[in-house]
Amino acid sequence: MATQDPDCTTDAQAVPPPVTPYDEMLTSVGGVRDHYAGLHQRIATLSAAEMAERQRTLERYFLLQGITFTVYGGESSTERIIPTDLLPRIIPAAEWQRIEAGLTQRLRALNMFLADIYGAQQILMDGVVPRELVLGAPSYRREMQNLYVPHEAYANVCGSDLIRQPDGAYAVLEDNLRVPSGVSYMLANREASRRTFPGSFREAGVRAIDRYPDLLLTTLKSMAADWRPNPQIVVLTPGVYNSAYYEHAYLARLMGCPLVEGRDLVVHDNMVYMRTTTGLRRIDVIYRRVDDDFIDPLTFRRDSALGSAGLFNAYRAGNVVICNAPGTGVADDKAVYAYVPAIIRYYLGEDAILPNIETYLCREPTQLAHVLANLDKLVVKAVGASGGYGMLIGPHASRKEREAFAMAIAADPANYIAQPTIQLSTAPCLIDGEIEPRHVDLRPFILSGEKIVVTPGALTRVALKKGSLVVNSSQGGGSKDTWVLESTPTGAHP
Amino acid sequence: MMLARVADSLYWIGRYVERAEHLCRLSDVMLNATLDRNEAAGLVSRIVLSAVGDTELHRADDPYQLALALALDRHDGGSIVSSLALARENARQVRDQITTETWERLNMLHLRVTAAEAPRAFGDGPSAFLHDIIADLHLFKGAADATMSHGEGWRFLLLGVHLERAQLIGRLLEACFGLRRAPEDHMALMGVLRMSCALEPYLRRFTADVQPRKVLEFLLLDEEFPRSMRFCTARIEEYLSSAARHADAGGHSPPERLAGRLRARLQYADMDEYDGASGLISSVLEDCAALHQSIYDTFVAYSLETRLPA
Repeated sequence: MATQDPDCTTDAQAVPPPVTPYDEMLTSVGGVRDHYAGLHQRIATLSAAEMAERQRTLERYFLLQGITFTVYGGESSTERIIPTDLLPRIIPAAEWQRIEAGLTQRLRALNMFLADIYGAQQILMDGVVPRELVLGAPSYRREMQNLYVPHEAYANVCGSDLIRQPDGAYAVLEDNLRVPSGVSYMLANREASRRTFPGSFREAGVRAIDRYPDLLLTTLKSMAADWRPNPQIVVLTPGVYNSAYYEHAYLARLMGCPLVEGRDLVVHDNMVYMRTTTGLRRIDVIYRRVDDDFIDPLTFRRDSALGSAGLFNAYRAGNVVICNAPGTGVADDKAVYAYVPAIIRYYLGEDAILPNIETYLCREPTQLAHVLANLDKLVVKAVGASGGYGMLIGPHASRKEREAFAMAIAADPANYIAQPTIQLSTAPCLIDGEIEPRHVDLRPFILSGEKIVVTPGALTRVALKKGSLVVNSSQGGGSKDTWVLESTPTGAHP
Repeated sequence: MMLARVADSLYWIGRYVERAEHLCRLSDVMLNATLDRNEAAGLVSRIVLSAVGDTELHRADDPYQLALALALDRHDGGSIVSSLALARENARQVRDQITTETWERLNMLHLRVTAAEAPRAFGDGPSAFLHDIIADLHLFKGAADATMSHGEGWRFLLLGVHLERAQLIGRLLEACFGLRRAPEDHMALMGVLRMSCALEPYLRRFTADVQPRKVLEFLLLDEEFPRSMRFCTARIEEYLSSAARHADAGGHSPPERLAGRLRARLQYADMDEYDGASGLISSVLEDCAALHQSIYDTFVAYSLETRLPA
C-alpha cells in the first residue's frame, strides 16, 4: 500500500487518469455553476476589445506598483510583471468551510508533530513515522532539539497547495512550512480585480482579505507576548535581488515594521540589534524570509552573507524569536507528506478532512518496483527539490526522459516519491482575447501563533500553457484572484 | 528611529533626483542657447561641460550629442537616465519607507526614460522631453512633501536634495566664474541663471540689469531663493539639527557643527572682501564634501564599539 491513508488506498493502475478535469465554472453538461453565474453573465456582455482593455488596466496596475521581476539578458535588463489573469476564480462558502477546517486541522497536527520531533520524539518511538525518514531528512535541524517555541507554533506562516480532483474533491498536494511566498500576489490580485470587475465583485459578496498584514502582525506579536509586552518586530529579507523582494517590502510596509537585511543586524551578548541612525536597537521577533541554511553562518551555511552571525544562539538563548522556526521543513518534506494523514490521526484522533494525493515512497522496495513499472502514468518528484524542478510528468515525458529518470531513481530511491498524474481542475482564463480553460491549483495562507487563522482567500496559480499541469511561476505559470464568497448560491447547478 | 541603511538610501534618492533635475536644466538651456551659432553659444556649452566635470573639451562642439548623452547614456553613471535608475533602485530598497504615491511618481518616470521609445521621444523634441522629466520630478517632490510623514526619513531625503543642490550650483558657479575672466556676455549670464532656475526670481530682485557680480551674489548668498547656496546650507543645518534631536546625542553632532559654520559663513559673507569668487566657491565646495562624509560617518557607518550596550 502506498500510504497509510484510507482515503487513498486505490491503486493508480486500476483508475486511469480521467480525461475530463473538473471545470470550476462549467458543469459536465455545459451549464454554468451558480456561484459563477454573475461573472459569466458579465463576461458575456463584454467585447473582446473591452476585455483586452481591462487586461491592460490590470497589467498597468502591476507595473506601476513595481510588482515585477527582473529578466537579465545581454546589455540591459528588463522588468516584467508576473502574468496575471483577469478572471477571478470563485469558491462558494460551503466549499471554503471545508477547506478552512481541513487546513486548520492539518496545521495543528503538523505543529504538534514538529514539537514532538524536536522534543520527546514519541511518534517515532510509536513507529507511526519511520525514524530514519525524519532524522535523515536534510531539512531536519538537530540544533532545534529541545528548544522552547511559544505556543508550539513552529510554522507561523503556512501556504499549502491544494488541487481539485476530477470528482470535484479538494486534496492537499503539498505543504509549505518554510518560507512560503505569494501572499502579496493574493493581495495585489485582489486590488486589481476590484478595479477590473467592481460591479461583479460587489454583487458576488466576496469575503475581505485585506486584514492579512494585521493578522500576521498579531501572530508575530503573540510569539513574544509572554516576555516582551511591546515587541520590536522586523521582516528579514535576503535583499532587493530576491525574486520575492516586492513581497517582503510590501508586508513590512503594511505591518509598519522595519525591513532589515542581514547586514543591518548585530548580535552582541546573545541579543539581536539593528543598526539605526541613532545607534543599536534591540529586536524581539524576526519574521524571516531567508531560508534556514542562510540565517546564521555560524550555525548553518558558513558562506551565507544573508543572515547574521550569532543569530541562532540568540534564538537558543530565548532572546529573540525566529518565525517560522528553523527546521519546519522536515514537516513539509515530500516523503513525510505521505504520513500526514497518519500524523493527524496520531495527534488529534481524527481523520484528515482534506485528503492527501496517493503517494509512493521509492525508499520502499515494493513501491519502487511499482513506480519503475508505471513511469508513464506517474508524476515523480525529487524529495529535496521544489519550484517545479527535478520533476517528471510521466504521461508528458518522452521515452528517453523516462529512462533517464528511471536510472536516477534506481541510483537514489530514497530521494524520490511518485504520485498518480492528477488532472488539476480548470478555470476560465483570458488567453489572447479568448476565454479558455486552464489548469489551476489553490494556495491558501494559514497563520499560527497563539491561534490558527485561515485567511478567506488564496493565490490561484494558473498553468497558462495549454494542457500544462505546471503552475509554478518559474515555469510559465501565472496567477489570478480568488473570490471566497460569503454564501453559497443555490440553484440548478451545484 | 530608522535603519541606518534606509536613511542612507533615502539620502541618496534625494541626491540622485536633484542631480537628474539639474542635468535636465543644463541640457535644455544648452540646446536652446546653441540654436544660434555664435560665440556665446560655444561659451554656454563649455560651461555645461565644465559644470558636469567632463574634460573632453571637443564634446562641447556638438551640443546635441552632448545633451543626448547626458540624458540617455545608460553607460554613463552620471547621466539623467542613470541618476533616475539609481534613485529608483534606492527607492525599491526602501519601498516600505516611502509612500505609494511617492514611489509611483519615481517608478513611472524611470519606466518612461528607460523605455525603448525614449531616444525617439528625445529626438522628436528634446526640450519637451527634458521639461517633462523636470515636471515629473517636481511631482515626485510634491508627493513626498504631501504624503510622507515629515519625520526622520523625509529629512534624510531632503538633506540629500539640498546638499546635492548646493554642490551642483557650486560647480556651476565654479565653471562660470572660476574662469580667469568672468563672462561679461549677457547671453551666457542669462544661461547660467536659467540653468539655476533663477531667471525670474533674479529679475524680480535686481531687474533686468544682469551683472556677473550680482548673478554670483544671488546664487551664492540670497536668503530666500531656494537654489542659492546659502539657502541650501540653511536647510541642511535645519534638517541636521532635528536629526540630532532624534539621535538624542546631547550637544551638536559633528555634521551639525559643520553645517552651522558653513551656513554662518555664507550668511555673513561680504562679496567685497573677496577678490574674485573662486576662492570662496571652492572652499564652500570643500565644506560640502566634508559635510557629506561627516553625515555618513555619524549616521550610517558609525563604529559599533561606541554604541554597544555596556
